[in-house]
Amino acid sequence: MKRTFTICPYCGTGCMFHLLSDEGRLVGVEPSCNHPVSRGGLCVKGWNAFSFVGHPDRLTVPLVRKEGRLVPASWEEALETVAAGLKAVQERHGKDSITFASSAKATNEENYLLMKLARRVFGTNNIDHCARLCHSSTVVGLKDTFGSGAMTNSIDCIDKTDLVFVIGSNTTEQHPLIGTRIINAVRNGARLIVADNRTIRLARHADLHLRHRNGSDVALLMAMMQVIIAEGLENREFIASRTEGFSLLAESVREWSPERAAPLTGLAADEIAAAARLYAKAGSAMIFYSMGITQHSHGVDNVRCIANLAMLTANVGREGTGVNPLRGQNNVQGGCDMGALPDLYSGYQNVSDPKVREKFEQAWGGVLPESPGLPLTLAMNAAALGTVKGMFLMGENPVISDPDQAHAKAALKSLDLLVVQDIFLTETAALADVVLPAACFAEKDGTYTNTERRIQLLHKAVEPPGEARADWEIICSLAAAAGYDGMKYEGPSGIMAEIASLTPVYAGVSYDRLTPYGLQWPCTDAAHPGTPVLHRGRFARGRGRFAPVAYRPSSETPDAEYPFLLTTGRTYFHWHTGTMTRRTHLLDREERRAFVEIHPDDAARLGIRDGGIATLTSRRGEITAYAKLTEAVPAGVLFMPFHFSEGAANALTNNKLDPESHIPEFKVSAVRVRRTE
Amino acid sequence: MKFLHPGNLQAFFQSLTTEFDVKVPVLTPEGERVFGTPGEGPPVLSGGALTAKPTSVFFPQEEELFATGREVSKPAEKPLLVAGFTPRDLLCLRFIDRFFSDGFRDDIYFRRREGAVVAAVSGYSGTDGGFVRLSGGEGDLEFVFDGSVWIVVPYSGAGQRLAALIHDEAPDSSLAPLLEKSAEGDNEDVAIINAASGLLMSDMVPDSFWERVADSCIQCTGCNLVCPTCTCFGVRDWRYGDRVERSRMWDSCQLEGFMREASGHNPLGTEALRTRRRIHHKLAADRTKWGEISCFLCGRCDAACPTGIGIVSVSRMIVASFGDRAVKAAHR
Repeated sequence: MKRTFTICPYCGTGCMFHLLSDEGRLVGVEPSCNHPVSRGGLCVKGWNAFSFVGHPDRLTVPLVRKEGRLVPASWEEALETVAAGLKAVQERHGKDSITFASSAKATNEENYLLMKLARRVFGTNNIDHCARLCHSSTVVGLKDTFGSGAMTNSIDCIDKTDLVFVIGSNTTEQHPLIGTRIINAVRNGARLIVADNRTIRLARHADLHLRHRNGSDVALLMAMMQVIIAEGLENREFIASRTEGFSLLAESVREWSPERAAPLTGLAADEIAAAARLYAKAGSAMIFYSMGITQHSHGVDNVRCIANLAMLTANVGREGTGVNPLRGQNNVQGGCDMGALPDLYSGYQNVSDPKVREKFEQAWGGVLPESPGLPLTLAMNAAALGTVKGMFLMGENPVISDPDQAHAKAALKSLDLLVVQDIFLTETAALADVVLPAACFAEKDGTYTNTERRIQLLHKAVEPPGEARADWEIICSLAAAAGYDGMKYEGPSGIMAEIASLTPVYAGVSYDRLTPYGLQWPCTDAAHPGTPVLHRGRFARGRGRFAPVAYRPSSETPDAEYPFLLTTGRTYFHWHTGTMTRRTHLLDREERRAFVEIHPDDAARLGIRDGGIATLTSRRGEITAYAKLTEAVPAGVLFMPFHFSEGAANALTNNKLDPESHIPEFKVSAVRVRRTE
Repeated sequence: MKFLHPGNLQAFFQSLTTEFDVKVPVLTPEGERVFGTPGEGPPVLSGGALTAKPTSVFFPQEEELFATGREVSKPAEKPLLVAGFTPRDLLCLRFIDRFFSDGFRDDIYFRRREGAVVAAVSGYSGTDGGFVRLSGGEGDLEFVFDGSVWIVVPYSGAGQRLAALIHDEAPDSSLAPLLEKSAEGDNEDVAIINAASGLLMSDMVPDSFWERVADSCIQCTGCNLVCPTCTCFGVRDWRYGDRVERSRMWDSCQLEGFMREASGHNPLGTEALRTRRRIHHKLAADRTKWGEISCFLCGRCDAACPTGIGIVSVSRMIVASFGDRAVKAAHR
């Protein structure tokens, strides 16, 4: 029996655990006794995280499409096909006709290398990753207001706060070990406001549960700020000494009385006022949010409102406060930190800044492209239009995860070359011209950065199956196959040394400093202890900027033809496109099929019974799913998880993007429903 | 009886590795105290119950049962020697030994359990040097910390053989004060859990109570997975080409799918019912079936539960909420 101390591969909470293996096969998980986040506990996915690793479906050899079929190939042939294929597309259609998607499931080192590969080896800034679909609104909105797009505070702050305001986060299901800390805080006397129109578990513990309409967050938050200013509850000293633009904000919210917001939000005016007073009067208050805020065509404005609200009440830059976006994937924070973004190098350094570019050009030995590349969602649109012709996807499964599945499929099928690097033959990999088999989290070393910016060590427990290799090894081999010799490393720690040398917020990070429980960035030199709380004394951008916004409704709202509002998300037992959790015995058993939550009154009207089959139709597609009758959703609203390829929620969703973050509006689309049996 | 200086523990356990597969609490390089081999880190017997259940040595989270076309169930090369059970853990072990042999003999369990040597750890070896009552003869031998040395007390023949390898003799009288201390009253949790058991068996706990408790349950399943007397498992078949592997893995009564019938109906279809079942099983159902409560107060579920609804915490809530009513009912 061997024991390996490592990191859970699921959400951004970043729990650490021991993987137990016996003769090269994983046989169990034990929680870390002392980890500052998980504190001896885990969620059900963590407890079962070992279980998919040895699944018979794992990819074990490279596959190359020949005569229409994917057939086994040598690594040499597969890598040569990819390198030559991508270059051939570029020769025919230009440098920016290919695009790379990195992975929030991959390590920091691997994200860094893929962006280096895209920029240095293939000369394009077309590199992005799934943060585009989850927290791109946060990165834009918080950079605009605070100067840094990351969670401001630490998970430990929950123990020290007077009030928690959760908006658009089903925390106990999606960040379970953070959700439980909130439950404990409430038990110990903290107040809790939950704004979510589903009756999530946290709502049962809340002092106030605001079931505002999907997509009405700006109206709710503006009205809360209006009450705070009208009643003199804002912190004038903080506003004067730490911020700018207050008068513009005050002007923008002046007309947003709770009475005006009430019909838009579906709330009573006094509920809004009560929430405003409760939040503003707390000595310290933390806001937690997630996809319910970001995945809207006005996601960036939602984030701005949250930042404004926190600054208005001086709830930034202290323990027990802050604006705390909960990052979904285990390493989506790291994917962003590492510059797997079309406009930024690692550490949020701008590609269009000549000084920055020069630094990277010197380090990497070559000329780098100047203009920002395509965000993932626009790259998919470009593929559909025929201007992007080659795509390299590492650990991404857009056939299931992108909005408007028919559009995503058509885009992928129209490519001259699609390369997918993954651990299973996903729905997307099945469309690929070349499939590269990758090692999973348990089969490699590296680092992940959790939602509170904690950079932690991932350790290899078992060998990858067959000929599968770690993503970083594959990327390095691909760079060599493409004729670049600047990507040779003995291991991930050497890659981190290069990252630290080029990335100021990671400058003090080295593997020997990360045992046992990591460091929180910014960590700017070898003696720096890390930073649990951002914006202390000074915002990352200097003064915090109040950013007024204008209310915009969601782009597609229910009407006579499509009378239901569909909102999508995840369930507790599954992860994203189900590649891992649907191959995990216990998790699969708990939720084995696509379902839709529907209010019993709606179901009765339509003749749909609990467990019966419903057909859902939107302007983009039609699917069937099992009906789950529950008052957790309000009448007129349907909730569906997007994990299931059969009954794919994203066949229905709307590919309408936020104009600044280019995030799709996963949380609001219009559908109609009928009974199907 | 013999004794060992703390500094000699590592050499002692290391010397046994030629004959045994030795499992002992060790400190990992990360500073985590876990079950390991003497080579993985220094043995640390003190510190109380380990996070993981020690019975996992015999009943691991996942294990292969058989595979078509190849031999799986090979016998272990060496018998296990497991030190690190607290005396309460040994009561749990005795409980599941009986469970796995009652009526039928679970040969998968006994392929590891049979021939294993089990050592208890007690004395001033609890968390922060707290006192752990002696086992009173459970297991093959016992390591009792008197504050300066480990007194090694053999109980079985296997225990005596191991103790014989130690040179330093401990006078019989050295154990006396520790036995005396052990005889002092039980800790408060024993009374609490007995009282809660009584209230459950006399049906004094209403459904609304379980709904309230269940509101805090996130179904992490940790309470079951760390419990040394939880023995439920699921079965999984994986097909690799023309070969099929069957394995079993820990399961949890806190999961909706655990009790779901093939028809789709579920007799434990609500969170409240499942939460009730978890506590009721240990404190009432097992007491009826086996004549004893199957929680031996190892403390693990209370430590692992992220929201504080382990069995002792819930028992406290039961006694606080309904204890008076029970007393009044008894007086009527």
